[in-house]
Amino acid sequence: MKLDRSKKPSASIELSFMLPEVENFKLDNGLDVIFVKRSHLPILRLNLVVNCGTRTDPIHKKGLANLFTLMIDEGADEYNGLELMDEFDILGTNFDLSCNNDGVYVGLRTLSENADRSIELFSKVVTKPHFDDISFAREKRKVLTRMIQLKDDPEEIASSAFEYIVLGKEDPYSYPIIGYEDDINNISIEDIKSFYKSYFVPNNSALIAVGDISKEELAEKLNRYLGNWKPKALDIESYKSSIKESPGIFLIHKEDSVQSEIRIGHISEKRDEHDYFQRTLLNNILGGQFSSRINLNLREDKGYTYGAFSRFNYFKECAFFYASTSVGIENTGNAVKEIIKELNLVREGVTEKELEFAQLSTIGKYPANFETNQQIAHNLTTKYLYDLPNDYFQTYLERIRDVSIEQVNKTAKDHIHTDKLVILVVGDREKLITQLKGITTDKITELDYLGNEITVV
Amino acid sequence: MNVLNLDYEKYRLENGLEVILHQNNNHPLVSVNIWYKAGSCNERKGKTGIAHLFEHMMFQGSENVPKEMHFRYIQEAGGSLNGSTSFDRTNYYEKVPSNFLELILWLESDRMCMLLPSLTQEKLNNQVDVVRNERLERYDNQPYGLAWEIIINNLYPKGHPYSWPTIGYLADMNSYSLEDVTDFFNKYYSPSNACLTIAGNFDREKAKELVNKYFSDIESQKTPDKTVIPPVILENNKVIMRKENVQLERLYMAWPTEKAFDTYDSSLDIIGDILSGSKNARLYKSLVYDKEIAQDVSAYQYSGKYAGHFMIIATAKPGVELSLLKEEIFKELEKISTNGVTQKEIFRSKNGIKSSFIFSMQNIESLADQLNFYNFYLGEPNSFNFDLSRYENTTEEMIKECVNKYFNKSHVELQISPINGKAE
Repeated sequence: MKLDRSKKPSASIELSFMLPEVENFKLDNGLDVIFVKRSHLPILRLNLVVNCGTRTDPIHKKGLANLFTLMIDEGADEYNGLELMDEFDILGTNFDLSCNNDGVYVGLRTLSENADRSIELFSKVVTKPHFDDISFAREKRKVLTRMIQLKDDPEEIASSAFEYIVLGKEDPYSYPIIGYEDDINNISIEDIKSFYKSYFVPNNSALIAVGDISKEELAEKLNRYLGNWKPKALDIESYKSSIKESPGIFLIHKEDSVQSEIRIGHISEKRDEHDYFQRTLLNNILGGQFSSRINLNLREDKGYTYGAFSRFNYFKECAFFYASTSVGIENTGNAVKEIIKELNLVREGVTEKELEFAQLSTIGKYPANFETNQQIAHNLTTKYLYDLPNDYFQTYLERIRDVSIEQVNKTAKDHIHTDKLVILVVGDREKLITQLKGITTDKITELDYLGNEITVV
Repeated sequence: MNVLNLDYEKYRLENGLEVILHQNNNHPLVSVNIWYKAGSCNERKGKTGIAHLFEHMMFQGSENVPKEMHFRYIQEAGGSLNGSTSFDRTNYYEKVPSNFLELILWLESDRMCMLLPSLTQEKLNNQVDVVRNERLERYDNQPYGLAWEIIINNLYPKGHPYSWPTIGYLADMNSYSLEDVTDFFNKYYSPSNACLTIAGNFDREKAKELVNKYFSDIESQKTPDKTVIPPVILENNKVIMRKENVQLERLYMAWPTEKAFDTYDSSLDIIGDILSGSKNARLYKSLVYDKEIAQDVSAYQYSGKYAGHFMIIATAKPGVELSLLKEEIFKELEKISTNGVTQKEIFRSKNGIKSSFIFSMQNIESLADQLNFYNFYLGEPNSFNFDLSRYENTTEEMIKECVNKYFNKSHVELQISPINGKAE
């Protein structure tokens, strides 16, 4: 007999989900440690977060934090850069470094059996970096060549230039992480050393550890190896916003492009827990996942693109909202119009059904955000960076559940501004101008690939 | 190693569908992962990309699942989903809270047996547009984005199933008809040509009952016999020069090697690591770190069911000639060919590989996919330890033999340089 397949099955049982237990403690030098013990695999993850991202880059020295990040593992204590990496590699340990607008991140992934030696090496990088001239010159040249390469990548050009113009070109958050050519040439090894002295201190950092180790053992090792890393008085300039609204249509010419990269958005308010959940659900409906309005319209209905999405991009001190997609060049004007149409529509409100879907999917996928050590470390890093309340993870589900349709609809009106849109398109000028003219204005500003004005068409 | 030894059960339904069950109760999640033994290697001339287009059509709803609802049902349950197509196979996977296992089995079985009644020209036109944009976004509009297809097209003989790109050629995309899609489904999407893996938190008996309920009445069709695959022989070196809208020159070199899990497949992985896998890797250290003639370099073995090749890719620093990069690369290969590699280099690679095996056990979705991967290539899902032992048993002698066997033969070389002259 054939099975009747017409009926959609429902959930079998109610699930319970236990959040990982987080323990907080301080090392003897005052460094905050945020720890989760997980023993089902013999591995350990460490993330050191230091509050010194590119937003601290001084004027004419844009790119300093990034160059610093490239320099910090070029030799430490008794090892030069190559020897140091060899020591990590011999253990099969992954050591990683990155930086963004808000922080520099030092990461480690090791087998438990090598935890002691890995933490020792990790601590050498943090406490005894060399910063030698030869490495500095080489890393600088690498960055300068990388800048040349970035001119090739339309997605990278669009994202970086959009951030620059949407924040008004003068805010510490608006500059590209990699910096500018003249600025890089203007940075000296002394700048790197003073960056380290000013920012790279335990009282400006937190260490997140997730994995197969006991709290006592972890504390003992960290105290032993990071003990000589001393706190000092911080002299960090507090953030002063220079954000300006700068609506308009902007075009960056990229010869022979077969697609256009589109970014549309505006500045927004920084992350705030009183409306964070409303904004999250609003964006989920608008462009935050596959079945969102923007993606279903541009991809599944019109076939303009492989994918389209929107998000609130939060930094620690500011934020912007944007929608992003890449489309066949002939569909650029229509795609821009459809995105604007969706932004206008969502301001008129969402449906109960849409909100319920957004809530169910967000709640349902919550446990999957705590599957790997890396994910847990990432969540705890976010909590630390945005200074989220202690019960943030415990109350997350109920806060999502508690959001009402009235709140979402108010949030849409308060946070989506179609009269202030920055519209940026990267593509072939000749094929774009007529498509873009008149969408929000007749004035189209052509920019160079860094986002600086060349001419007005 | 114990953590790499997975407990599992494998069986076959009467219609031929293979089933692999692996319980892992660390998280309240379950992952379902289906491999269909059909990829771009099953395509024919003029219809390249149809396997991948077909993958897209599988998300367009089926008899009991309206368009857009395949995604919605899974997302609503808190799940995530996707699919991917390669030369050899197409996979579909979902990760959901474990109380939604039945929903997934219902969805997967509905499209396995009742995709065709819901196919429409409109859905096809829409997804052809999407796939065309996928190609433009990921290949045509990317710097150096066409390198892969140029290389495989020159490396594999005409008509070899690895000689065209999985995404397909733009011209072919315009020719896909409903009949092509139907034909591909009827030929390859039979339960007897698929393997269903369930991994994560579930009750084994209950899961078997559900698999039986949803999949046992799906009828199998005969899948076409494998066509004869021509051997990959490159008589002479081929050099292809190409101008593109890029800033820096880039060199690609590719040598025909061997298929997945063949004698030297793991040696080739280790050679890739020794050449470019770390700061101390030979090519990285020489080209990028010491001489600063390259901005980046990578070397790796690609191996599939029928063949494989080894690639070295290096981007020249401004003002550096590609001939210099090439010279240095051959110098390093020559050194390995005469002096071999050091014990320390092999030790370093093996340790890196061993840890990456253990780190990869964290994610139930990649675990499910890996079980299917081993089952497909080796016929044994629980092959983590076997796979690791291939690397652990690789010796200095094997590395030397391997380099001498493959890197003294002809290769394909692709040079991509800027249209508007070189950056200085």
